[in-house]
Amino acid sequence: MSAWRRATARMARELVSISGGHAGPSRRRASFQRLSTSAALHKDFFRDLEEQVVAMRQKASDALPGSKWTPLEINPNLPPERADIVIVGGGVVGWSIAYWLKQKEMMREAMKIVVVERDSTYSRNSTVLSAGGIRQQFSLPENICLSLASANFMRNINDHLGVENEDPVDLQFNHSGYLFLANENVAHLMEENYRTQRSYGANVSLLSPAQLKDKFPWVNTEGVALASYGLENEGWFDPWTLLNAFKRKAMSMGVIQCYGEVTDFKHTMNVTTTVDGEQVYLKRIKSVKVHMPNSLEYQPVECAIVVNAAGAFSGKVAQMLGVGIGPKDTIAGIPLPVEPRKRYVYVVHCPDGPGLDTPFLIDHSGVYFRREGLGGNYIAGASPEEAEEPDTGNLEVDHQFFEDRVWPHLANRVPAFEKLKVTSAWAGFYDYNTFDQNGIIGLHPLINNMYFATGFSGHGLQQSPAVGRAVAELILDGNFKTLDLGNFGFRRIMEQEPMLERNIV
Amino acid sequence: MLKILVPTLMLLPTAWMAPKKWLWPTTLLHSLLIATASLSWLKNMSETGWTTTNSYLATDALSTPLLVLSCWLLPLMILASQNHMALEPENRQRLYICLLTSLQIFLIMAFGATEVMMFYVMFEATLIPTLILITRWGNQTERLRAGVYFLFYTLAGSLPLLVALSLLYVSTGTLSLLILQYSEPLQLSGLADEFWWLGCMLAFLVKMPLYGVHLWLPKAHVEAPIAGSMILAAVLLKLGGYGMMRMLTMLDPLTKEMSYPFIVLALWGVIMTGSICLRQTDLKSLIAYSSVSHMGLVVGGILIQTPWGFTGALILMIAHGLTSSALFCLANTNYERTHTRTMVLARGLQTVLPLMATWWFISSLANLALPPLPNLMGELMIITSLLNWSWWTIALTGAGTLITAGYSLYMFLVTQRGKLPAHLPAIEPTHSREHLLITLHLLPLLLLILKPELIWGWAA
Repeated sequence: MSAWRRATARMARELVSISGGHAGPSRRRASFQRLSTSAALHKDFFRDLEEQVVAMRQKASDALPGSKWTPLEINPNLPPERADIVIVGGGVVGWSIAYWLKQKEMMREAMKIVVVERDSTYSRNSTVLSAGGIRQQFSLPENICLSLASANFMRNINDHLGVENEDPVDLQFNHSGYLFLANENVAHLMEENYRTQRSYGANVSLLSPAQLKDKFPWVNTEGVALASYGLENEGWFDPWTLLNAFKRKAMSMGVIQCYGEVTDFKHTMNVTTTVDGEQVYLKRIKSVKVHMPNSLEYQPVECAIVVNAAGAFSGKVAQMLGVGIGPKDTIAGIPLPVEPRKRYVYVVHCPDGPGLDTPFLIDHSGVYFRREGLGGNYIAGASPEEAEEPDTGNLEVDHQFFEDRVWPHLANRVPAFEKLKVTSAWAGFYDYNTFDQNGIIGLHPLINNMYFATGFSGHGLQQSPAVGRAVAELILDGNFKTLDLGNFGFRRIMEQEPMLERNIV
Repeated sequence: MLKILVPTLMLLPTAWMAPKKWLWPTTLLHSLLIATASLSWLKNMSETGWTTTNSYLATDALSTPLLVLSCWLLPLMILASQNHMALEPENRQRLYICLLTSLQIFLIMAFGATEVMMFYVMFEATLIPTLILITRWGNQTERLRAGVYFLFYTLAGSLPLLVALSLLYVSTGTLSLLILQYSEPLQLSGLADEFWWLGCMLAFLVKMPLYGVHLWLPKAHVEAPIAGSMILAAVLLKLGGYGMMRMLTMLDPLTKEMSYPFIVLALWGVIMTGSICLRQTDLKSLIAYSSVSHMGLVVGGILIQTPWGFTGALILMIAHGLTSSALFCLANTNYERTHTRTMVLARGLQTVLPLMATWWFISSLANLALPPLPNLMGELMIITSLLNWSWWTIALTGAGTLITAGYSLYMFLVTQRGKLPAHLPAIEPTHSREHLLITLHLLPLLLLILKPELIWGWAA
């Protein structure tokens, strides 16, 4: 009798210890990751209960005899044998497409979507290494509309990406705006762009040097002829939060995530002749070979549609299908003009720097900086010249670049920055479109069922919600519905007619 | 009878010994000849008698249409499988054809059996090649679960049948259909006899399938390769119907009370599965649920036990066999090109494949029982005989007809009409083989408009 009492008392104590210890069980899955910087406002009874059950099961399985061996040892990370749509690339563009595809399907579980991402730690992923800015100050109307639509999406992000019983999404969207500075040579371009932007609904204002000095006294207006300041829907946000919000919502709608590398495609080929008499081979992808990380295991995923959202490495993926491998003056010889370009981001600390209303300032020399947090830290960087593009083999940071290329112009523009300290730095890849530095969205003429959404050259993150919606419309409705992005298709690349922006960072 | 069975048996060594280049044309031709020869059974359609040729096998007006259907289906299955089997190693192709042939042999012996025990053994034997087809050649990992469901639902239903048949043998001294039809009606009164009734009927109700025990069907039909889907939809379901029709002659007078819940369940199933079809996103799943819906009507017609009910059930079984098999073949042509069964990703195909759209159109119209096709004849006869029994059934059957029209048109409109997705214009054109396949399905259906007496069963 007393032994029973002792046993129940011990069990009661164990229950208390499990519920008390909020270090939590070691096997927490990504879906429990908190997305806000502050703690949850209220304790969710059911979530705590589930954690306790998981902890108890773990304890029981550790205590009871027996091994974990099962006869059907299947790698849980393996993608399914067949899926309807395989999205290559698990960055923000890939997950945005996955979310919008699920959002637009008429009936639940109509399509099986698999997102394949090579990097399970996301340590080299361009999305999370981005500076996170969003602006509408472009010259192409499509770019303006894309960013505007994405900004609206992000302002109402919990209407779109909120999941029941989970924390709301907090993007930490700082609406501080972008500030472009132009010298006399490009001031007229800035004025024309300003008119285009206003006509498409972007809230931008032009400032003369005097107005600039008045508004932001810490700026040195020497050499500045005109400044363009975004008043609304511009600023920066946390890219990791956006990526995770898309991922969480898409996975709650049934998208399957797979960590693996796409190494090959199985396709069928059809020969046909163009009007010019050229023989082209049209390929239709039948299955995607996904290789598991650190293993020889692979799984061919039979699919109907493949979406190439592989970012900086989309060129490699396209090459697996022979895009770019062909005689020089044929359609097959034109490669996908996307390649990785390394860009450095330096975190500097300057106690006397500009205040809280500092916009994302971009100088006409190409140097940019923005405020990071509330402790006097700033993020700065610059785009290197074509000739001095760093090597893309690794993500090592060149600190000399900061000394030579960034700091002089930065200190020139903002005198307070003469005294600063570089606290940390990182490097990330742009999915750089070498042709005209704008996104490529649509079907390739030679591959029947591969949709491309890549080559945004640094603007992928800010345009990702609208691009995702556009690609989903292309796949499910057959055509663009809300924003006509026809100009972003492959036609301009095939006909060698670049569609250049007139202010590029 | 033997002039059909022995050539089918000889198809087995043909499949193993034909040279690789001539494997598929040879087996196709051989099975087409068998199918043509089987049409000779239709000639001896004396109204009630058996055209016996054997002490074990015989045909009568009820089994002849089903026998001809199953013989007709073998060349169609071989034709349909040719494309996706082309990539497999040679021995597996031969094995595949042998599986189809052995299925055919079991079916001929099942439909032609005079002893109910032989029918039972063949009924069970058809499970094995089908199971191998589904689990080995199906496309997805779910095929294992589909195989398990298929096997165990049918086995669990038919084990009581074995016991019931043994009891019948002990009490009447014979299991031959030729004799049982003339035997005295059994004194069936107590609860044990009701269980015996249930034991006789349950296997066939599961096979039909009846609405409550239909879960195996969507899984098995969807996961099976095309030949598996065809034979399942066209013939294997009808084994249940045929068995019920044979057994019911001995089960009076209990059937009057005991069939009540099953008729209601069947009719309710017509509406429920029809409604599920309207919400389906997977094409093959839609066709599978529509099979359940049609078979629900057949169950109702059989359990009603009137001549019109039986006739309507038989006509609907034959017509549905051809229609459903045609729809599965059409879905397969879609699948081979786009590699997805999701309807939303393979739309607007009329633009690229107009002749295939014609076949889709005719098959969808057949599915929704358009006059003058035999589908309508079967449905009308069943609905009328049910109405005669109880006026309330018209609510269920009428609503069922409406929903059937709804989802058949929905299937046609989604797959054929609408905007062609951007990734579909460069699709492979239709092969002549596929046109031949669908034509061979639809031609008998259209010809039966002209002489439906062939499939009326005893009511001719």
